[in-house]
Amino acid sequence: MKTRYLLPFLSLSLVALFAGCDKELDSSEIDDVDTELTGATKYIISATPIGTTGIADYLLTTNSLDSGMVTTQGNGIEQDGSYRYYLTHKNRFFSLLYGQGNPGAVTTYRLDATGKLNKLTNFQTETVQLFAPVKDDIFIAKIPRSGNEFSSFYRIDARKYQIVGEKQVNIVKLAGNGERAHFTWATQVGDKLFAPYMSIKGAAPDVFGTAYPDSSWVAVYSYPDLTLEKVIKDNRTSYIGAYFVNGLVEIENGDAYAFSYASATNSGTPSSKNPSAVIRINKGTTEFDKSYFFNVEELSGGYHMAGQSYLGMGKFVVQMYAQPNSLAGVARKFAIVDVINKTFKWVTGVPTDITRTTTINNYAPKDGRTGYIGITTASEGSYVYVFDASIAVAKKGLNVVGGTITAINALQY
Amino acid sequence: MQIKKILLLGILCACVIFTSAQNRLSGVSGQIKSATGEPIPGATIKIQKTTSGTFSDENGNFRITNIKAGNYHIQVTAIGFVTIKKEITVSENQESKLNFSLNASSEDMETVNVIGRTANQQVNRQAFNVTSIDAKKLHNSTLDISHALDRVSGVRVREAGGLGSRMDFSLNGFTGRQVKFFIDGVPMDNFGSSFQINNIPINLAQRVEVYKGVVPVWLGSDALGGAINIVTDNTTKSYADISYSYGSFNTHKTAINVGYTSPSGFKVQLNAFQNYSDNDYKVTTDVASFDGRYFRNQVVKRFNDTYHNETIIVSAGLINKSFADQLMFGLTAGKNYAEVQTGARMVSVFGDWHRRGSILMPTVKYQKKDLFTKGLDLRINGNFNFGTEQNIDTVYRRYNWFQEYKEYPGAGSERERSMYKFRNNNGLATANLTYTINERHSLSLNNVYNSFNRKGSDELFPQNQNYEQPRKNSKNVLGLGYKFSASEKWNTSVFAKQFYQSNKYAQSYNPSGNWGDVAYLQQENSYSKTGYGIATTYFIVPNFQLKASYEKSYRLPETDELFGDLLNLEGNISLKPEQSNNYNLGFSYQAQVNQIHRFSFDGNVMYRDAKDFIRPQLNNNQTKQVMGNLADVTNLGFESEVRYSYKQLFTAGVNMTYQNLRNNTRFEQGQTMESPLYKDRIPNMPYLFGNADASLFFNNVGKKGNTLTLGYNVLYVHAYYLSWPSQGTSDTKYDIPRQWMQDVNAVYTLGGGKYNIGLECKNLVNNRIYDNFSLQKPGRAFYAKVRYFFSKNRS
Repeated sequence: MKTRYLLPFLSLSLVALFAGCDKELDSSEIDDVDTELTGATKYIISATPIGTTGIADYLLTTNSLDSGMVTTQGNGIEQDGSYRYYLTHKNRFFSLLYGQGNPGAVTTYRLDATGKLNKLTNFQTETVQLFAPVKDDIFIAKIPRSGNEFSSFYRIDARKYQIVGEKQVNIVKLAGNGERAHFTWATQVGDKLFAPYMSIKGAAPDVFGTAYPDSSWVAVYSYPDLTLEKVIKDNRTSYIGAYFVNGLVEIENGDAYAFSYASATNSGTPSSKNPSAVIRINKGTTEFDKSYFFNVEELSGGYHMAGQSYLGMGKFVVQMYAQPNSLAGVARKFAIVDVINKTFKWVTGVPTDITRTTTINNYAPKDGRTGYIGITTASEGSYVYVFDASIAVAKKGLNVVGGTITAINALQY
Repeated sequence: MQIKKILLLGILCACVIFTSAQNRLSGVSGQIKSATGEPIPGATIKIQKTTSGTFSDENGNFRITNIKAGNYHIQVTAIGFVTIKKEITVSENQESKLNFSLNASSEDMETVNVIGRTANQQVNRQAFNVTSIDAKKLHNSTLDISHALDRVSGVRVREAGGLGSRMDFSLNGFTGRQVKFFIDGVPMDNFGSSFQINNIPINLAQRVEVYKGVVPVWLGSDALGGAINIVTDNTTKSYADISYSYGSFNTHKTAINVGYTSPSGFKVQLNAFQNYSDNDYKVTTDVASFDGRYFRNQVVKRFNDTYHNETIIVSAGLINKSFADQLMFGLTAGKNYAEVQTGARMVSVFGDWHRRGSILMPTVKYQKKDLFTKGLDLRINGNFNFGTEQNIDTVYRRYNWFQEYKEYPGAGSERERSMYKFRNNNGLATANLTYTINERHSLSLNNVYNSFNRKGSDELFPQNQNYEQPRKNSKNVLGLGYKFSASEKWNTSVFAKQFYQSNKYAQSYNPSGNWGDVAYLQQENSYSKTGYGIATTYFIVPNFQLKASYEKSYRLPETDELFGDLLNLEGNISLKPEQSNNYNLGFSYQAQVNQIHRFSFDGNVMYRDAKDFIRPQLNNNQTKQVMGNLADVTNLGFESEVRYSYKQLFTAGVNMTYQNLRNNTRFEQGQTMESPLYKDRIPNMPYLFGNADASLFFNNVGKKGNTLTLGYNVLYVHAYYLSWPSQGTSDTKYDIPRQWMQDVNAVYTLGGGKYNIGLECKNLVNNRIYDNFSLQKPGRAFYAKVRYFFSKNRS
């Protein structure tokens, strides 16, 4: 009698066993060979839906930034978590996780012959606090804001997708004033790496405060061996760039222009007495040009710059804090500056209820005229705004439905 | 809040005085047993031609008070037994004794008791949506309480890893602290990491009650979405239950439960248990080399995941005295050690980071029935936890999954340099007063008070003032309930609860603007909320029960959610209390054919409308979890269970849960456009899952009286997305794949239950099982358990 029930019991179990088996995983390697380019361009918009939980970024592709619509609804390549940063180098797209002290995975993509964005591979780096294309590499740095005195520099080969060089730099020693040198960004100037830094206390509770708000510093490193050659300093404005904001750009003629947002604080209050301005490092030199000073704050009527995007031929779109003599708020105004001719002009056509703009992650074809910046507003959502520097006017371009624009990049195929 | 409390107390006192002022009346009490001497719980005792009557308790005892002197006929009915009637003479101001012995009915068509793990008539007869797990049936298995709960419909236990790992409990879509845990009615909120459901052995429990949604007032506390009450052995007998198990990953577990009660009423109990595991199971993951390249889908062993805990609970006191039915003093002492293998994701791997915890908790328990007057029962519990928790991360290394590491100079760490040690100074007091006016009406008043005062320091940063700032919190939940039992067929409870919380903390600022100058601004916030509810049940026929309940409930943020657990949970002091409207509708039906085939069917529909839902999310850099108020969530869920048994030889059951959790937040903060995520399914939450089990019983195997049980259990969890389902192209989305986990076991019982040998294989086909953000759980594992059990009833 018992066996009568044992048989169906066992056969049922067997069926369940087979139904419930996992499939094998793929562990094959990925091959990444260059293909002939057709000369076409695809734009990659990174967008984050607005919400409070389970938020991932999505990569959307489009043929044009000037008009049309893309959406994250049922569309876009999901990224593993939000708070990612993006860059393109050597016609590959890199998606980096901001991991604050923990290792972060970087995912790379390329376009196939039909213009479809395909995932290439993952690799792991340390925390990304700054990243910049330098020669054939992506240069990244992990910069502790307190405790440990060493910043770690890494060189990642942009085609081998691995770390090819590493260096430890004592940032307390570098600052030499009792505070810490906190790199804001890094830029390839000539064949060297120029890394502007801010001086910070690095101690709770005023980690990002400083007792030295009226100076600019740029550490100059040889590349690829990353040996410190010099620290150049200036006392006419404040530090160059800002936390996670680039402030140093090399233009076509080899001169490098340094933007100071004069945003140094002490205990949360702005403390620089110097204006928000642009200064210059001439080609082939490692000194600030004492004869050049472009006082943007004065020309704008007291506004501080908050970011810059280079359009080519010495022209920049600069983002300005929305109120004069203030470093508060997420809203922005925009202006066109010509650093060579020291001209400043407010841009019209930009909305006022801005909740977010793209800063380091926007796109310009470098024609000296056009720039694309992502702007999200509370009432209309997100659009790529097309800036025309020649007439200082911005207009709505591509509509990005469902998400805040965090980056605009371009790849060829 | 204080005023209301006083008022409520006043009302109750007035009732007490009013009733005791009446003439003292007579009563009758006794015990209901089967012909074989087993107590019968849940039997109906009725005094004919009056409205008086009651149900027998879990030991078969009953008591009817407030009847006039005279001659009565008392009728006792119990499912599966022949109804019996006896005559009794009750004299003035006396309680007459009358015991009943019931014969099992042979032809009774209502006799339905499906054998299986969930059977406890009395608990299930309540109006609340409750499932009771008969833990005794699992005493020979190697499960801990959390895994036993994982087999209940509506319940998902999500673990971060192996033995002792952090776990998230979800009940009908409510997670984390929305579901409260109790041990014998006392909230477990303050027990620390050394005494939690992931390390309490199943043998400590007699049964585990799972209240889904509406929580009865006598359990108190601020349970938003349900409660789990672990009922330990509380009978007045001498017993010994000793077990040891050994298994894969060098896992050792020992549990010792012994109790002795002297004839004079002195009672002593000792529970001791120990768990140890290397947790060095294999996982499949991408492994990074130090140049950043990933080796895809490598099979590697976990290597920094050793866990062990040792806990002892002793209590001693007096029972059945004139001043107390029970007065027990106890001490819970224990410690645990847990290595930390990963962060919130597999990509963060650690090799040295670990944490320690301890518990040192004196307890007192007082219980008295018929205090001052008949029908007034008082229960008081108090405890204070002097336990500590410590987080140790001092090694400046970067590990990878190949167990290689790179060491850096300087005073760094794997994540955050810390030797922070803290004590939460948790105190808890509960009082429960119930007054049974008569067979039909009863009142209960419950108060739970919690205090918390975290104090800590870090020997690495002795100057760090931040840690010396106040993190204090006190919480009080007061509940008043009224139960109306109109008839044997229908009863209803209504209740109201008052929630109060106050938090004290500090915010730093710089008063002078000078370098290094720090001062702290003392902050205080408090909340007061009122909730209420109703639960009702109706028996269409004795085997067909309908239940309906509603509650407007609140949950106050927990201290860990406010101040962090200093491990994988970041604090968020700005959390608000969450609230929910819970509706439940359920039925249960039992049927049988010829006493051979027995069936039971249970089904529930629930609707939850929750606001300011507190949910875990990843913090800004994806390394820790942080709780946030995700504005509004609704959940319409279904769950059902079907069981079948054939004589006493075979049983099988299947349950399924579906929950439709939707984001009900139309406008995100600061936005005037409708959220693209409005009405979308809440991500990273299992929504379709179920269990099935089957057992075969063989009697007289090897020797007469020895039994062999073969069991099979399967768990299925449908795949779900980590982020919002509506967003992105579906083939690029990250998800937790569907999970199938199958376990088999065999238990051999000798000497009439005295000696037991259990063998178990978990995850039989070695599937990759994930629960949280791709943290993989153990593959195939084997465990063996031996157990000795002895008990002697002293009645």
